[in-house]
Amino acid sequence: MNEQTAAAVEVRNLSKSYGNFVALKNVNVTIAAGEYFVLLGPSGGGKTTLLRTIGGFQKPTSGEILLHGKSVGHLPPDKRPTTMVFQAYALFPHMNVMQNVGYGLKVAGLPKAQIAEKVDHALQQVGLTQFENRKPHELSGGQQQRVQLARAIVLDRDILLLDEPLAALDAQLRKDMCLELKHLQEKVGITFIHVTHNQEEAMTVADRIALIASGDLVEVGRARDIYRAPEKSFTAGFVGENNILKGEALEVTGTTATVDVAGSKLRIDTRGLSVEKGQALTLSIRSECVGLEQVNGDAPASDGMSIVGAYNESVYLGLTTSHLVRLPDGTEMVSRIIADTEAALPPAGAAVRLHWKPDDIRLHVQ
Amino acid sequence: MASTTSNSVGGQTNVRSVRPVLRERLAPWAFRAPLIFMVIFFAIPMAMTVVFSVFERTMFWMEPGFTLQAYENFFFSARLTNFLNSMKYSLISVVICFILGFPIAVFVRKSIPLVAQHRVVLLFILPFMVSEIIRVFALRPVLQRNGLLNTTLTNLGIIDEPITALLYTHTGVVIGEVMSFLPFIIFSGFLAMEAVPKFIFEVCDDLGVGPWRRFKDVILPLAAPGIFAGSVFIFVNGLGVALLPNILGGAGAVNAGLIATQAISALDFPLAMAVSAIMMATLMTLLWIGHKLFDLTKILTPLS
Amino acid sequence: MNEYDNPWLHRLKWTYLLLVVLTLMIPVLYVMYISFNANGFGANDYVFTLEWYGLILSDEILIGALRWTLTLAVVVTLIAVPMALLAAKYYKTADKKLFVVFLLLAPLFVPPDILGSALLVSFKNLNAVFIWLGDGLGTSLFDSWFRLSFMTAAIGLIIYTLPYSFVVILITMGRYRKEQTEAARACGANGWRAFWDIEFPQIRAGVFSACAFTVILVFNEYTRTSLLKGGFDTFTTVLISQMLNTGMSPQSYAMSALISFVAIAVIGSIILITLIRAETLARIARGKPEPVTP
Repeated sequence: MNEQTAAAVEVRNLSKSYGNFVALKNVNVTIAAGEYFVLLGPSGGGKTTLLRTIGGFQKPTSGEILLHGKSVGHLPPDKRPTTMVFQAYALFPHMNVMQNVGYGLKVAGLPKAQIAEKVDHALQQVGLTQFENRKPHELSGGQQQRVQLARAIVLDRDILLLDEPLAALDAQLRKDMCLELKHLQEKVGITFIHVTHNQEEAMTVADRIALIASGDLVEVGRARDIYRAPEKSFTAGFVGENNILKGEALEVTGTTATVDVAGSKLRIDTRGLSVEKGQALTLSIRSECVGLEQVNGDAPASDGMSIVGAYNESVYLGLTTSHLVRLPDGTEMVSRIIADTEAALPPAGAAVRLHWKPDDIRLHVQ
Repeated sequence: MASTTSNSVGGQTNVRSVRPVLRERLAPWAFRAPLIFMVIFFAIPMAMTVVFSVFERTMFWMEPGFTLQAYENFFFSARLTNFLNSMKYSLISVVICFILGFPIAVFVRKSIPLVAQHRVVLLFILPFMVSEIIRVFALRPVLQRNGLLNTTLTNLGIIDEPITALLYTHTGVVIGEVMSFLPFIIFSGFLAMEAVPKFIFEVCDDLGVGPWRRFKDVILPLAAPGIFAGSVFIFVNGLGVALLPNILGGAGAVNAGLIATQAISALDFPLAMAVSAIMMATLMTLLWIGHKLFDLTKILTPLS
Repeated sequence: MNEYDNPWLHRLKWTYLLLVVLTLMIPVLYVMYISFNANGFGANDYVFTLEWYGLILSDEILIGALRWTLTLAVVVTLIAVPMALLAAKYYKTADKKLFVVFLLLAPLFVPPDILGSALLVSFKNLNAVFIWLGDGLGTSLFDSWFRLSFMTAAIGLIIYTLPYSFVVILITMGRYRKEQTEAARACGANGWRAFWDIEFPQIRAGVFSACAFTVILVFNEYTRTSLLKGGFDTFTTVLISQMLNTGMSPQSYAMSALISFVAIAVIGSIILITLIRAETLARIARGKPEPVTP
């Protein structure tokens, strides 16, 4: 992260529990000003709790939150330099669009003319200038979310929080709004912190992604980095379509480890991690990096970059075709071909060899 | 990036710690005020009835002391038998109310579309809105010897002689209780049926469960907390509303409420307090039993 | 009613329901019928007249009593409904919900005579204590704080009506979404503004219903009021003591009918208004997108 870009949000040792249930465990993360930061993770994993704690809707059990360098743990939402866009039901039903967007300005005591001017500008930015007098129930889902965005950006605050803003929209609308959000953030230039469980959404909009599950901050990085080079096996399992293989370390020489997976010996780069003989290891490889070819009952190749199994079935998805292969120990591995071919499929149970390049397979220790 | 107008909101908000304003300090107490009020003016006086009931009676008031005279007056006299009698009749009223009223609550929940349900229940607020006392008094011209009921029945030729057993008897009191409190079993039954989701009826139909078994095995256990609360309400009010036996009952008809008010008219305050204390004890016991059996907090889940 | 239900059974159940409502209302309707009869109850000839109502309006005592009742109703409503609102908000965020619910709903289960008696004795004792305190401190400042009076009657009625308002407001709040308040806070409104600008307009209907409810309850109430009021008279106490002492005179029929008319009119109009507005309100509250005619 660029040291010259001041941190907009700093979360230090943040923990939050409800009675016996621990929602967040000792989370540390820093978000730069002007960044589009995404909190990604499974439902109930703590990402919304983290967002709401940053926004002031929940109080941390321990740890602190600094916004622009100042500790805000004790401040209510209206006194923080943040504002929020909710998933649904957050537009005021008894006010029209203009009154909704202008509400924060009215509370701040701005004169009417100025409010009208700023509201107009905000509505322009989200493309809703014709809708000033509509009531929320007269708008579509996408339009309602855009009104929320206008209501948030009109306040000129530096940090915009978004709590699963696209979850209530259907798939196509979600794709469109994703791009709109990205463009809006680039135009307005403030920090966006966006919570979602949808991986595609996260990768479309984010500058950096933080993966949060079971109360832990699992990994942080750019979309490209966590997709291609995940550090933790959980990340590999959550982002992208990875094959997760379990094995035991047989020997370690220099930066290469030999791992026994389902009877085959695989060679893998330890990338500097400490590995001991006999240690249980996890390997991950993206299914689109796994190639498939039929073998004629020969002994498994010993290049360390392939594994033999029995062909199970294929799943045709148009753009991709996934080939499911069963390994000798019962694990299933997937080879994904990104091309629409008419090639003949191997018969079920046929011996096949799955192979990959050395750079594509990653080692995880846990 | 940020707006170029001179007044920008938020943005570099100074997040220095704000000195707690007096209003922010007082706010939590404002929310507790209703509870404090109830403790001071309701909980404490009700608890004090026990204390007052052991005071000594004087000519016009009472004197602090300790005597069980009031309880003796209550337990070792006809008052006790009357009290137990009135309990019996209250119980009968509860059962009648339940049989007549609960099926309505089930019907509304089951067969009427959700949006219309509240409006139908509102229909029953209508009789409830008329003063209870007036409704009790209004039964006299209806149930009397020459009242509405008798004249109608005679005119229709159904009876030759007017029925006199309806007023100034225990039957009259029971009728009065049922008429007064039936709306309550419907309201509490309606709230209780929240616990029975609509699909239960469909599942029962699917499995071939008859209405009686469905009621016994499915509806009753689920709706029990609400039914119990409604029943306790009717039972306790039947015991405590003095006007019911006063207006509709015969010579010996008496309930706890009447004993208490008569005691006050006779300036025997410790006795009135003793009766109140006994009623409170009965009520608490019933609610405690209900809570242990059913967990009465479930009643308010539709509201929270 | 689903498509497989027997339509005749359905109609039968509806008929039963309406019959029950009717039966509950018959005594009151009969009283109203009698109140217009010049010859009172039991006479064979029915002569329509408004003279009994006229008598009420010209009776000084009754008008005075009516004024007291009205004042009580207004004061109690002004205190009890905001209290119910505060209690409902507190309940939503409270940990020990059982305690709150118990304390607020318990008065429903205490019969009027018992509550009235207990409060009467407590107040008289409290008054005696205050007088004793005052004598000790050499002041008569709080000699009559808890004398049986308007204030004691008001307190008793507040305790009586609070549970009803509480439940009505809770039910209305059930349809309000928490995100609205959070969104308002995120826009910079403090707790009070978020409530007044955003929440209150949406629960207004429930609050007004609670007010109407409370007014009617106070108008109708007899036992607690009569025990706690002290020197003055309310409409119901005059009416009931008349009926207890001299039986039901034509004038008392008219009085009973009058209160009932008012109560039914108020609640009837509320029912009608909610019926008419229910659809639009529900749609607006849900913020559901609907096709808009351009």
